[in-house]
Amino acid sequence: MSIKVVIKESTYFDSVSLMSLSTKANQIEGVEQAVIAMGTEMNKEVLRNVGLITPELEAAKTSDLMIVVKAATDELCESAYVGIEELFTKKGDTKGKSEIKYATIDSAAKSIPEANLAVISVNGAFAAREARKALENDLHVMLFSDNVSIEDEIALKQFAHEKGLLMMGPDCGTAIIGNVALCFGNAVRKGNIGIVGASGTGSQEVSVRIHDFGGGITQLIGTGGRDLSEQVGGIMMLDGMKALDEDEATKVIVLISKPPAPSVEEKVLAQIKNCKKPVVVYFIGGEETAVVAAGGHFAKTTKEAALKAVVLAGANEDELNKRPLNWPLIEEVRAKLTPEQKYIRGLFCGGTLCDEAMYLAMDTYEDVYSNIQKKPEYKLKNLHESIAHTFLDMGDDDFTNGKPHPMIDPSTRIARFLQEAKDPSVGVIVMDFILGFGSHEDPVGVMLPAIIEAKQLAEKEGRHLEILGYVMGTDLDSPKFEDQVQKLMDAGVTIASSSTNAGLLAREFVAKGV
Amino acid sequence: MSKINELFTSKIHAINVGIEFFKDDIKKQNADAIHLEWKPPGGGKPEIIKALDSLENATLEQKIEEANKLAVQRIINSQPVLIGYDQAINVVPGMTKTTILHSGPPITWDRMCGAMRGAVTGAIVFEGLAKDIEEAEKVAASGEITFSPCHEHDCVGSMAGVTSASMFMHVVKNKTYGNIAFTNLSEQMAKILRMGANDESVITRLNWMRDVLGPMLRDAMKIAGEIDLRLMLAQALHMGDECHNRNNAGTSLLIQALTPYILETDFTKEQKREVFDFVASSDYFSGPTWMAMSKCALDAAHGIEYSTVVTTMARNGVDFGIRVSGMPGNTWFVGPAQKVVGPMFAGYKPEDSGLDIGDSAITETYGIGGFAMAAAPAIVALVGGTVDEAIGYSTKMKEITLAENPNVTIPLLNFQGVPTGIDIRQVVQTGILPIINTAIAHKDAGIGMIGAGITHPPMEAFEKALLALSEKIS
Amino acid sequence: MHIHALSGDAEFLRILASSSFSGNIHSIFERTINLQCDQNDELYTIANDQLDNGPNTLVLDIKRFHETGLEVGDRVLSQGQTLQIGNKIEIAATQAKEWECTLPPYPSNIEILKVDIAFMKEYIAVHGKCGGMKRNSRPSTPFEAEMSNMLLQRSGLLREALAAGKSEEAVQYALGLVGLGPGLTPSGDDFLVGLFSIVNMPGAPYYLPFHFLEEIATEAKRLTNEISYMMVKKAVCGQVRESVVNLLQALSKGTASELLGALEKVLSIGSSSGTDMALGLVCGLELNREAGGRACLLKS
Repeated sequence: MSIKVVIKESTYFDSVSLMSLSTKANQIEGVEQAVIAMGTEMNKEVLRNVGLITPELEAAKTSDLMIVVKAATDELCESAYVGIEELFTKKGDTKGKSEIKYATIDSAAKSIPEANLAVISVNGAFAAREARKALENDLHVMLFSDNVSIEDEIALKQFAHEKGLLMMGPDCGTAIIGNVALCFGNAVRKGNIGIVGASGTGSQEVSVRIHDFGGGITQLIGTGGRDLSEQVGGIMMLDGMKALDEDEATKVIVLISKPPAPSVEEKVLAQIKNCKKPVVVYFIGGEETAVVAAGGHFAKTTKEAALKAVVLAGANEDELNKRPLNWPLIEEVRAKLTPEQKYIRGLFCGGTLCDEAMYLAMDTYEDVYSNIQKKPEYKLKNLHESIAHTFLDMGDDDFTNGKPHPMIDPSTRIARFLQEAKDPSVGVIVMDFILGFGSHEDPVGVMLPAIIEAKQLAEKEGRHLEILGYVMGTDLDSPKFEDQVQKLMDAGVTIASSSTNAGLLAREFVAKGV
Repeated sequence: MSKINELFTSKIHAINVGIEFFKDDIKKQNADAIHLEWKPPGGGKPEIIKALDSLENATLEQKIEEANKLAVQRIINSQPVLIGYDQAINVVPGMTKTTILHSGPPITWDRMCGAMRGAVTGAIVFEGLAKDIEEAEKVAASGEITFSPCHEHDCVGSMAGVTSASMFMHVVKNKTYGNIAFTNLSEQMAKILRMGANDESVITRLNWMRDVLGPMLRDAMKIAGEIDLRLMLAQALHMGDECHNRNNAGTSLLIQALTPYILETDFTKEQKREVFDFVASSDYFSGPTWMAMSKCALDAAHGIEYSTVVTTMARNGVDFGIRVSGMPGNTWFVGPAQKVVGPMFAGYKPEDSGLDIGDSAITETYGIGGFAMAAAPAIVALVGGTVDEAIGYSTKMKEITLAENPNVTIPLLNFQGVPTGIDIRQVVQTGILPIINTAIAHKDAGIGMIGAGITHPPMEAFEKALLALSEKIS
Repeated sequence: MHIHALSGDAEFLRILASSSFSGNIHSIFERTINLQCDQNDELYTIANDQLDNGPNTLVLDIKRFHETGLEVGDRVLSQGQTLQIGNKIEIAATQAKEWECTLPPYPSNIEILKVDIAFMKEYIAVHGKCGGMKRNSRPSTPFEAEMSNMLLQRSGLLREALAAGKSEEAVQYALGLVGLGPGLTPSGDDFLVGLFSIVNMPGAPYYLPFHFLEEIATEAKRLTNEISYMMVKKAVCGQVRESVVNLLQALSKGTASELLGALEKVLSIGSSSGTDMALGLVCGLELNREAGGRACLLKS
């Protein structure tokens, strides 16, 4: 590894040039890392923290420009530096020759005939309009924005249906089309299973489990959370099913949703009968009989949905590592907990992951509270205080309130975690860590200091604090899955191998007198 | 195969609007994505968005599209030809001895800016309606003079646009649709009536133009018959003009076409020599010609029900007014005239500038001038920009126009046609305003031109037009 | 070459009028030139017509400076409202419109302000530029990642300390931000400028002790470059550029679309600078909202 440092004394560049130089410098062939920054004390501190500091840099003055290049060999370093120098001199004429900019979907679609998809994430007040423009231009739509009215959603979906286009969303966070993950998504193998999902993290989880079982995905079509409501009537899910049924590469179809409106569930199940391909249904908290009667394959959990799908798609069930629950571990944890430590506290970024864990707990316990509970008597009144078993979807509007999603800004969850860790009635805290496109670059790392602090606090007070973590991601995702898991294990966190197992383990850890 | 199944097997080419890193993630996965430079439509104003939405109702939108197609077709197919020169009183509809036409939307004497007042009083003296400027001011204020916009009389007028009965006019006929447009003659120079100057030298020149230049051109055209202006415009663009602020090539072409016939007229050699010297004294000689040509084409596109195409942009130094094809007749939508930004003649300061003035923005409405800046790299210095910026202006205008005019092309842009048919919906939606190249007149009466530069219309005018149109047709 | 000044900082114009300005060119950019003044060692800026007014700034009727032939070190002298630079250009300030940084009073309608803050946060989350205070979800290098972490952590700690009234601690955290971050004006500096402009608004419920600001103003000098230091120093006493003032005015009494327009202007400053400033503004507003809430409780 080689580092080259150049200090340009009393050199000022305006911030626009500095930032774009920096970006371009990092794209030069062979560059592992390039830094172009003013020589302030603080910037030097950053260099120290990332191990790039040299005596020369230490001596740089605040008015000096520091250039640091890190590359594999001296030669690469030198050639990269030459490239950076060129960037400085080329500055004047790079302007105005950047790629053509378009202001509207109309003009972009007209100028780029091969465009086939619009990804829309503008403020909800303007989102429906942009989506309509995209559909008018024969573009399929992934509408990430939320706060779109139900009337607009219905109109958009009907319009898309008439035109034979995808209208994924509003409030659709994930999709994988032609092996390209859109917005939030995981890097999964190409395969023969197609997914239509009305719940974002649920669909992500099933895709990740399928990958883990050795299977792969053809398409993952997101519908947005309200698609299966009475009003919308499942337009996108029905169209998605149909398209996957006609797709040659797809052998098995998986449907994922929160509990649908009864009339819509009926419609969806009715369509299963018309499908040429096996259909696995995971409707959180759903009933088996109706699904089976309709000719579908019922799954009670995300893991079961993935397992059934890969088996239907041709995997040999006996050869799969089904990652069963580790009962000796459960016994071990139970032994460590005092009789007072009887509650689960779940702090989730992923809405469906929260839902799944909560439903699993509700199978055993009565007093399960949440901000997303369907039963009014168990809906948390004061969001800032947990009662008994509490599962929080921290990505819900209740908690975000203008802040970025906890996948991006973890501060709210950190604060809540420390609060729960102090509660002597808590037996286990369960948390998810979501990897992949669109998510935080080190979700475990930002949580670690708090985890360590909480563990120490509990130890001081002489109680065991069980922390259960689930890292949702594949071996192809970034940041690296193994690294994230290792960091958690090093900090004494128990790792669940799936969302389903996380829910089951949490439930079993605090089971008393069995 | 259904479109959805087609998508499954195609390479992803995404258009990303909103959060930018979604585009980066897509590109990382070896798919294509572009990110839009998107702004909330109508500046995020709810009433404007509502109006835009109401125009997007499917049946209505189809009507609008059809109307716009027709409007643009009429602009493009128009073939304006110069058929003569004559005095306003003889040819301009509604002209009387006491009528004074002015540029921009309607305005009363008491609201006129300095340059326009200077021009009006000068014209009153020129027409013999007052003995001097002082008396002319009284006449102007007395109510004896009928003030009316050029545009409402098939005319356009550059800068103050002041046009009176005995001034000589271009007569331009639309060979395709038959309508006629007029504009008066260039006074060349800087210290001139249209810029607000009105001293004796200005009046003397006007007299000469009435007595020598005008009649000579009239007689020459009687022999010539007609001159194809659209063809000449296309040539001028290929020779580096944008035909609003740069007219070097256009003027050469025009006088080249006129010269043989001028020689055949019965005027003396000295008079002919004077005329040629006068034309040679400024490149602007053909400036008004292109305005009349543009007006002639755009009038043919005015008054098409449901059309959202802009047919007029004009300023009077106080208000900026536009007219839209779907609002027939003289329905103006106005907002405040803007400052013009650009280099000034030595000795003048930005504070001396009057606000944007003149009917010359008819050229941009047609698709030349600022819209064709990429054709005229030589004047980007005049407007303080770089060649890249000039090209950028022309490509940006495509975002707010409906078509390219295949008859008038820009070599530097691979012979693309000039952006044609400004659509008020697109202007309001994108927040991109038309760009206008123009001259700067002094803010006070009696001084004249002091610089040149670029400016934009006020968004307000487009918003008002959109609201009115949506109310009318939806 | 003869250039007119379109507008300028009133104090700068006064100094020019008294013919008492002399100095050298400190640095040259495409859109600005900084002048080092002999008399008080402050930096003064001459800017092109695309930029807004600001403290110590003169806005000129010119598009770019690279073609003026000016060089760093060129002598600058004022003579009767004209600024002579080398023998190359001459700037006439006779007609320049006076501009003075006057911060509007703190918004009185708390409910509207709440909505406005939420709007600003959301708009910044979507349209703000990443890389500084707004973290890039996928930093391209460990350096960038670490810097973002430090910026977030320190600004968070600063906010907490300020909210808890621990001003000694707060000074340390604030100084930890000075000079931190990418860009000519490091992100930390821009953030503080935003924060200080709110704190300096007349009638703002949250108030910073004088020694806090004084310490920042003196200590910052060694922590950041001269250009950025001038900006921070001016912001400490409530002197900020026009686009920020306009945004505060829009918050005080503007319509939603005025707020949007003013916010867009601020976000377009520099590369990430505008976003960093805007986040500083939001931080200041939130501190005030909390403080304001307390003040109401006390009154009742």
